[in-house]
Amino acid sequence: MSFAIEITELRKHYPGSWSPALDGLSLKVPENCIMGLLGPNGAGKTTTINIICGLVEPDSGRARIFGVDCIAHTTAVRSQIGVVPQQIALFPNLTATENFAYISTLYGIEKRYARERAGKLLSRLGLEKHADKRISNFSGGMKRRANIIASLLHYPQILILDEPTAGVDVQSRAMILDFIQEYKQDGKTVLYTSHLLDEAEKICDEVVIIDEGKFVTEGTPQQLVNKTPGCTDLEDVFLHYTGHSVRD
Amino acid sequence: MRKILATIKKEWILTRRDVAGFMLLFLMPAVLIVVMAMVQDAPFKDYQEMRFELLIADHDNGSIAQSIKQGLKESGNFHVTERIDGKPVTEEQLKRLLQKGDYKVGIVIPKGATAEMVNAANLVANSVSEKLGLGSMPSREIRDSLYIRMYFDPVTKPTYRMSVSFALDKLITFSSSKVLVERLSKMGIAAADTTNDSAAVTTPEKQPTENFEKIFKGLGIKEHVLSGKAEHGSFINSVQHNVPAWAIFGMFFIVIPICGHLIREREEGSAVRVELIPGARRMVALGKIFFYTIVCTVQFALMFCVGIWLLPMLSLPALQLGAHAWVLIPVAIAIAVAATSYGYFVGAVFKTTNQAMPFGAISIVILSAMGGIWVPADIFSPAMQKLAMLSPLYWALDGVNHITLRNGDLWDVLPHIGVLAGFSTILFIISTHRNKKRVRSIQ
Repeated sequence: MSFAIEITELRKHYPGSWSPALDGLSLKVPENCIMGLLGPNGAGKTTTINIICGLVEPDSGRARIFGVDCIAHTTAVRSQIGVVPQQIALFPNLTATENFAYISTLYGIEKRYARERAGKLLSRLGLEKHADKRISNFSGGMKRRANIIASLLHYPQILILDEPTAGVDVQSRAMILDFIQEYKQDGKTVLYTSHLLDEAEKICDEVVIIDEGKFVTEGTPQQLVNKTPGCTDLEDVFLHYTGHSVRD
Repeated sequence: MRKILATIKKEWILTRRDVAGFMLLFLMPAVLIVVMAMVQDAPFKDYQEMRFELLIADHDNGSIAQSIKQGLKESGNFHVTERIDGKPVTEEQLKRLLQKGDYKVGIVIPKGATAEMVNAANLVANSVSEKLGLGSMPSREIRDSLYIRMYFDPVTKPTYRMSVSFALDKLITFSSSKVLVERLSKMGIAAADTTNDSAAVTTPEKQPTENFEKIFKGLGIKEHVLSGKAEHGSFINSVQHNVPAWAIFGMFFIVIPICGHLIREREEGSAVRVELIPGARRMVALGKIFFYTIVCTVQFALMFCVGIWLLPMLSLPALQLGAHAWVLIPVAIAIAVAATSYGYFVGAVFKTTNQAMPFGAISIVILSAMGGIWVPADIFSPAMQKLAMLSPLYWALDGVNHITLRNGDLWDVLPHIGVLAGFSTILFIISTHRNKKRVRSIQ
């Protein structure tokens, strides 16, 4: 089996913090798979994503995308991945079309292809009627969908989503989840984080639970439910491994 | 290049949509120029008592040169420099130093000035003694071409020039009178004065004084304003000071929108998007710098238009651009790049708009005060003048003054452009590095 993402013994300790954000985390994401990266607040999910994107340098360990080192070859890696950050990473005073045109140009995509690609994605995610509206006038769900489009303009092989459905309505959420599954069907790989475990259970082929920067367990949602005694769903599994104490 | 152009276009769209901010960017400096030029019009005509550096090229080395130097030193208003690097100042050197703006006034005492003054005194004494039947002193015809020459930096105020001119005139008159009295004493006039007084006064048609003016003309003063090679030079006045000064001040106020945009983009998350696109960060930064440089340059041009066309309608003098007005373009671009880089720097160094906005605004006011925007740097104390050089606004204003007042060409303002370019480069490098860290830290 070939892997889209390979993480080996990643360690990261932010200056001034009491405990490490990542403490020897290792995981592998197979190609053409939706992998759910789950963990409570402060588990190290965002740090892991930031290391994969080359935004944060680990203290030790390696992260590779299709065998290419994420730190040594940031440019090559970034052209392979599409990242949907937690924040709406768009220019609010530009329209959706202007945002996508500008981002496509920064990726070096020809104007004609960029327009075509943006048009298709706008249509798929139900925003074609709002293409000429400013992002600041979008609803929360529309902003989330536009945020996803902006990450897909350069045809990435891997889509990394950091809580893409936080704060959106049921309809938008359903559309986003459908889209993620459809994207995987195109032969792409998805790494996805969320606190909504029913959502993860529904769309993920595999799930990895991490806590305090360490690997806890992995498997398909069903495998995890089956192998964990007394658990009927993924939420039970999650609480079984990470405990009931509230995290900051 | 496409990425830079795309960023310029994006910044243009964003700026265009913030109509109020965009208008303020152009309107406020224009209002400032009009108000300041009108307010300072009268005070600018007054000369404040200050101690100024004065250069003397003494080619005479006679008694008149000595009394002029002595008199100027004793006045307490001048610090007289006669030698540079142990060598006497030459006329060419004096002109060069004034042209650079290092000194405000220079006096050239020509060779033979003392001899000419003694000759003039002898002629007067002979004219008087002729009437009284006394002996005569050796003399010759006076020369029309011998003048004590005064050179001024065009930046110097008219009242200051007049003060120096009067002081010099007084010193020459004093020296001439002294020599004349000596001559008359030698001829025994002083003794005969009491007995032949009536004879001298009762022949008005042959008054000896009637030729004095002509005779003493050979010892006059000639003023020169060093305005470079052409005749387009202008003196400092409220318009010549206020238009460039407040235009530069307004350009540096671009700091506010730039740092505001930069911080907002970080807070909103769009900066993260740019960071995630391979190789986009530098191109986007350059695009921003180019865009705001264009805005600042246009702003500078508009403010100069106010000086050239609007202010004369308000009974103020029109702004003069000097003989090499085109040199204002590279200087304006250098100032615009420096202002933009400073805005980018403030936006990168500070985390929030609450920190960046007050710092940006107050630092511009401080740098402008230091740089001679509010009050010309020429009347600062020597220590303050040195400190002024730390302000980019000083180099900006001095560069513009070199062109508009001293008729400087590109060569003359290259040091100014160089300093501003160096300032911009350093800030740009620090800002790009710092902004990268900031964007990553918000993840």
